[in-house]
Amino acid sequence: MDSIIADMAGRVFSDHVTHLTRSQAAAGIWPTSLWQEIEQAGLPLALVPEGAGGFGVGVGDALSIVRIAGAHGLPVPLAETMLANWLQAQAGLPVSLGPQSVTDGSGLSLRATDDGWSVSGQIEAVPWGRNADRIVTLVPHEGKNMVVALPAERLAFDVAYNLAGEPRDSAAAYLALRADQVGQVALPADTLTLMGALLRSLLMAGALETVMTLCVTYAGDRVQFGRPIGKFQAIQQYLATMAGEVAAARAAADMVADGFDATPSRHLVAAAKLRAGEAGQIVAALAHQVHGAIGFTDEHSLHHFTKRLWSWRDEFGTERDWSRALGKAALKGGPAGSDDSFWSFVTATSAKGVAA
Amino acid sequence: MTLIDFPAPSAGSQFDDLRREVRDFLAREMADHTPQMRARSWNGYDRDFSRKIAEMGWVGMTLPKEYGGHGRSPLERYVVMEEMLAAGAPVAAHWIADRQSAPLILAKGTEAQKRQILPRIAAGTCSFCIGMSEPDSGSDLAATRTTATPENGGFRVNGTKLWTTYAHEADYMILFCRTGKSEDRHGGMSQFLVDLKHTDGITINPVIDMAGEHHFNEVIFDNVLLDGDALVGTMGGGWDQVMSELAFERSGPERFLSSFALIEQMIVLVRQNPTEQQEIEIGRLAAHLMVLRRMSRSVAGLLDRGENPLLQATIVKDLGAIYEQDVPRLARSLLSGPARPGSRDSYNAVLAQTVLSVPSFSLRGGTREILRGIIARGLGLR
Repeated sequence: MDSIIADMAGRVFSDHVTHLTRSQAAAGIWPTSLWQEIEQAGLPLALVPEGAGGFGVGVGDALSIVRIAGAHGLPVPLAETMLANWLQAQAGLPVSLGPQSVTDGSGLSLRATDDGWSVSGQIEAVPWGRNADRIVTLVPHEGKNMVVALPAERLAFDVAYNLAGEPRDSAAAYLALRADQVGQVALPADTLTLMGALLRSLLMAGALETVMTLCVTYAGDRVQFGRPIGKFQAIQQYLATMAGEVAAARAAADMVADGFDATPSRHLVAAAKLRAGEAGQIVAALAHQVHGAIGFTDEHSLHHFTKRLWSWRDEFGTERDWSRALGKAALKGGPAGSDDSFWSFVTATSAKGVAA
Repeated sequence: MTLIDFPAPSAGSQFDDLRREVRDFLAREMADHTPQMRARSWNGYDRDFSRKIAEMGWVGMTLPKEYGGHGRSPLERYVVMEEMLAAGAPVAAHWIADRQSAPLILAKGTEAQKRQILPRIAAGTCSFCIGMSEPDSGSDLAATRTTATPENGGFRVNGTKLWTTYAHEADYMILFCRTGKSEDRHGGMSQFLVDLKHTDGITINPVIDMAGEHHFNEVIFDNVLLDGDALVGTMGGGWDQVMSELAFERSGPERFLSSFALIEQMIVLVRQNPTEQQEIEIGRLAAHLMVLRRMSRSVAGLLDRGENPLLQATIVKDLGAIYEQDVPRLARSLLSGPARPGSRDSYNAVLAQTVLSVPSFSLRGGTREILRGIIARGLGLR
C-alpha cells in the first residue's frame, strides 16, 4: 500500500508522462511542465529530513516515489535530484527544488583556498548533466568525505546518452567554489554509489512492474489462431516466469528500503542491485518475445522500459560488480560475534536495520 | 491487473536469541553428522532426533498450548525451520506433520481429532504422510480415483496412492479421495485421517528412487473400512482444504535450501583463496538466498495474519526450485572435483548426492509447469 505522497506522485506522473513525453525526452526535449508539477508537489525534497528543509516524509515513502517514477519511465532526473538534496542536507548545504544530478566524484580532487574551494578533474556520464542546476558528488579530502555541489551552468558538457536516450553527459570541472558549495559529511566514501544503486534498483523494480502489466494486457488483447495468445501455455509459462522475477526484484528493493538506517546496508544494496539487474535481463527478453514484432517498434511503448532496464542495470555497479563485492564479504563469513559461516552471513545480513 | 504483493515481514521478526539457541543445540546434537548425512536435507528421517527437538519446544510451535503446542508465531517457527535446514538436520519424521497436517487438523479437524493428534505431533512422536498423488493423478489432482464410500456410519476406501513420501514410516496419512461423483471435478473430494499402523487392508510397497533411496511408496487401499470420525473437515470440502494447505507446503525455506550442504562444501574449498569468478558466483548465491528468505518470510507473515497466500507461495517455490537446482551446475563451474557417490572427500560425495536429488525439486510439491499455471491464473490469464 502506498502512502499519500506516493499516490500524489503517481497522479502527477500519470497526468504528465506519456509515450510521447518519453519519446520527445529521448530526442532531447526537456519536459518543462512535468518538472513544474514535480516541484509543486515538493517531490525533490522527499528524502530531506524535516529539520533541513524537507517535510517529514518517511524514508520508505520517499523511496517508493522512486519506484513509481520507474514504473512511469519518468524522463527527468527526479531520483537524482532527491539524492542530491539528501546529500546536501547531510552536509548542511542548501537544498532546492530545481533539477539536479549526482555523479561519481572519484575523478575529482578538492583543494581548500583562501575564500572557499578549488575543484579539478573530470565527471563522466552525468545523468541529465545539461539540464541540471547543480551536480552533486562526494569527494574524499584529507581523510574526510566532502559533498561538493558543482554549479552546472559553469560546466561545458559533452552530451551523450544511455540506451534509453536519457542524457549521460561528461565535463571537465576546473572551478573555484564558495564555502557553501562544499560540506563535510560523516558518511562512508561509497555512500553515493550505494544510494545510486539503491535508487536504480527501485527504478528497475517499477519499470519491471510496468513491463509485466504491458505483457499481461497484450497477451489478453492479441488474438492469433482464434484466441488471445495469453491462452497458450507457452505464453503463460513466460508470463509466470516474468511474474516471479518482477516479484523478486521488488522484494529485493523493498528489503533495502526497510533496512535503511541513516544509510542503506551495503550488502542489501548489493543483493538488490544484482537481483534487479538479473530480473531485467530475463523480463526484458521475455517481454519482447511475448510482444512479437510490434514490441520491437518505436511506436510501441515497451522499448522505453526495456531500454531503461538495460541502461539502469549498468549504472552504479553492474551485476558482476555487486556480486563480487557481496561474494568477498560472504566468503569472510558472518559478523563479529557469530561463527564465520556463509549461513551466518546471510541471516545477519538480511536482518532488518543492519547497516553492514 | 493486480501485481503480486509480498509485504514486508513483520518488524522484530529476527528472534536472535531463539536462533542462537537452535544453533547451539544443533552444534551439540549434530557434532557427529557428516556432510553426507547433512546433504540428505529434509529427507533425513530420525524419530529420536524429532523427539529431542520437540522436547526443546520446536515442534508444533504455533499450535495452541491447550493442544500441546507452544503458542508461538509462524515467524519464530520459521527461524527454527531454516536453522534446521541450514544445518542439514534430519527432520523428516516430524516435518510434514508440523508443516501441514497439524495446521489442517487445527483448522478443520473435530475437537476429538485435535485432542487425539495434535499433542502427539507437538511431542515429535507422530509422523504423517500425504496421500494425494495416484498412478493416474499426478499434476492433475482432480483426476483422483481413490474413493471413500459411506457405509454404516463409516467409509469404505478403495484405490491406490503413489509417491507417498515416508508412508512406510508414518503413523498417519492425510488421505485425499473422492466421496462424490467423478463428473464433479473439484467438488466431491474429501480428506481423511488414516491410522496406517492400525488399519486393516492397507499395503505399503516401496518405490526406490533413482538415487537408490527409499522415500516413495505405493499405498494400496483394498476395501479399507474407516470410522466415520476419520473424516477431516467437511464432506466434499477436500479440494478447498487442500488448496489452503498448499500455501504452507510451498512457501517454506525447504523450497530453496535443499542443496545448501553443497553450497557449504563449495565455500569450504573456495574461501581460502577465491578466484574472481568464485567471488562473483558466491555473491550471487548469497543475493538470491537473501531475496528468497525475504519472500518466504513475507509469506509466513501472511499466513500469520490468516490469509491464504497461495500465489505468493507458488512464486517462492518456483524461484526456490530454480535456485536449489542450479547449485550443482554452479559448483561444477567453479570447482573441478567430480561427483563420486560415497567418496571420503566430502565435496565429491555431496556433489554426487545433490546431482542425483535435484531433478525432484521441480516435481515434488507441484511441478514447475503446474506452479506456473497457477501464477498465470493469478495474473488473470486463465
